[in-house]
Amino acid sequence: MKVRIWGARGSVPAPGPEMNRYGGNTSCVEVTLAGGERLILDAGTGIRTLGFSLPPDMPRINILLTHLHLDHIQGLMFFPPCFRAESDIRIFGPSSPEASLESRIARYISAPLSPVEVRELPCDVSFLDAPASEWQIGGATIRAEAVTHRGPTLGYRITDGDTTLCYIPDHEPGLGADLAALSEEWISGYNLARDADLLIHDCQYTDEEYPGHEGWGHSPITEAITFARRVGARRTLLFHHDPLHTDGFLDDLHRTARRAWQGLGGDPEQIGIAAERAELTVGATAAETPARPRIAV
Amino acid sequence: MSGPQKPLELILARNLLTSVTTPAFLVAKDGTLLFYNEGAGALIGRPFEDTGQLDLQEWTRRFGPFDENEEPLSFDELPLTKALREGRPAHDEFSVRSADGEMHRIAASAMPIVGAATGASGVMVIFWPVDEQVAREVTTGRHEVTR
Ligand SMILES: [Zn+2]
Ligand SMILES: [Zn+2]
Repeated sequence: MKVRIWGARGSVPAPGPEMNRYGGNTSCVEVTLAGGERLILDAGTGIRTLGFSLPPDMPRINILLTHLHLDHIQGLMFFPPCFRAESDIRIFGPSSPEASLESRIARYISAPLSPVEVRELPCDVSFLDAPASEWQIGGATIRAEAVTHRGPTLGYRITDGDTTLCYIPDHEPGLGADLAALSEEWISGYNLARDADLLIHDCQYTDEEYPGHEGWGHSPITEAITFARRVGARRTLLFHHDPLHTDGFLDDLHRTARRAWQGLGGDPEQIGIAAERAELTVGATAAETPARPRIAV
Repeated sequence: MSGPQKPLELILARNLLTSVTTPAFLVAKDGTLLFYNEGAGALIGRPFEDTGQLDLQEWTRRFGPFDENEEPLSFDELPLTKALREGRPAHDEFSVRSADGEMHRIAASAMPIVGAATGASGVMVIFWPVDEQVAREVTTGRHEVTR
């Protein structure tokens, strides 16, 4: 399985010379399965550039949305395949008793916020509630479950052969809970992330910033690392960078997270930080995959 | 859902109950007592950490509830059972026994918890002592827990 980051920023795009290395585009991750099929996780502004890299004859494009906050859908309207008649696009997202996925997304892709309406898109696009039970896309088994954030939000678990990726970009599992002490059954996202070969997880704040942002739906370093430890993630990629965090600041945040992981008995090499355009190979065949941390929970 | 994790709505309900002093229980749809908070622990005289999850028979045997004559109430008559069975809030007054054997008269309101993906997954039962003095002590955290 190959994973490519097209946007790692949270909340709002943050372009600028001091953001060059980690990038300013919001959440978008491309996953290439062992059989060659591709999945797109979220449609933040990063999906625009991803769209230019896709072959024009790609048979079907599957986009898995975690939720409909703007930083996860803003790029949809600028995704080049949407404007090609031959494109076949399937968009999965959280269900709602209030309105269909299509009509909720159409609140953004409609006047006055947008110059085009969903019905005017020339492509063949379908909007589907993420099924409550596992389903298949290509060779992969997909599982979506609700996680702690503000508003209905999914995380995804994607298993391709014996390789598992977990993607929970917006997550505050430690809200009102002691993650280090709770039993597994009471940890949001546990089923999705347990024993994942790669966990892509929210780490929007430092521990010092967090008290002013408690309940905003995002994790500080300690909670992200503790969550990774509790679920037994083999590698973790810190994601959803705060728009205020410059390259230098994120370098420091990464060092702090590695030290925290090491403090729990893990190998610091297992803690990465997402940077735009970075590509990772995930799974048992990935030579660089380190051994599982030996951590007593 | 497969795997050991509880549905998100129960996790969030527990997190909420942990953060408030209002005494409350969280009960699974099969009647298992999943959690009670410090306020409830103060009232029944034993913190949750000492009891852990209890099945229906065990927790009703230990804590009640009981009617005015201290006879055990039928499970079918409890607000939580009505909330589970009928999918609507329910309210009643009855007695519970604290760990030291003392009976407390309480009022209880049960609210069904229905998840978007999982349907009815449990009930949150909020309760408070009918005795005003005890109620004040419990909600201000001054009611002693007997270990
Ligand atoms: Zn976000
Ligand atoms: Zn969000």
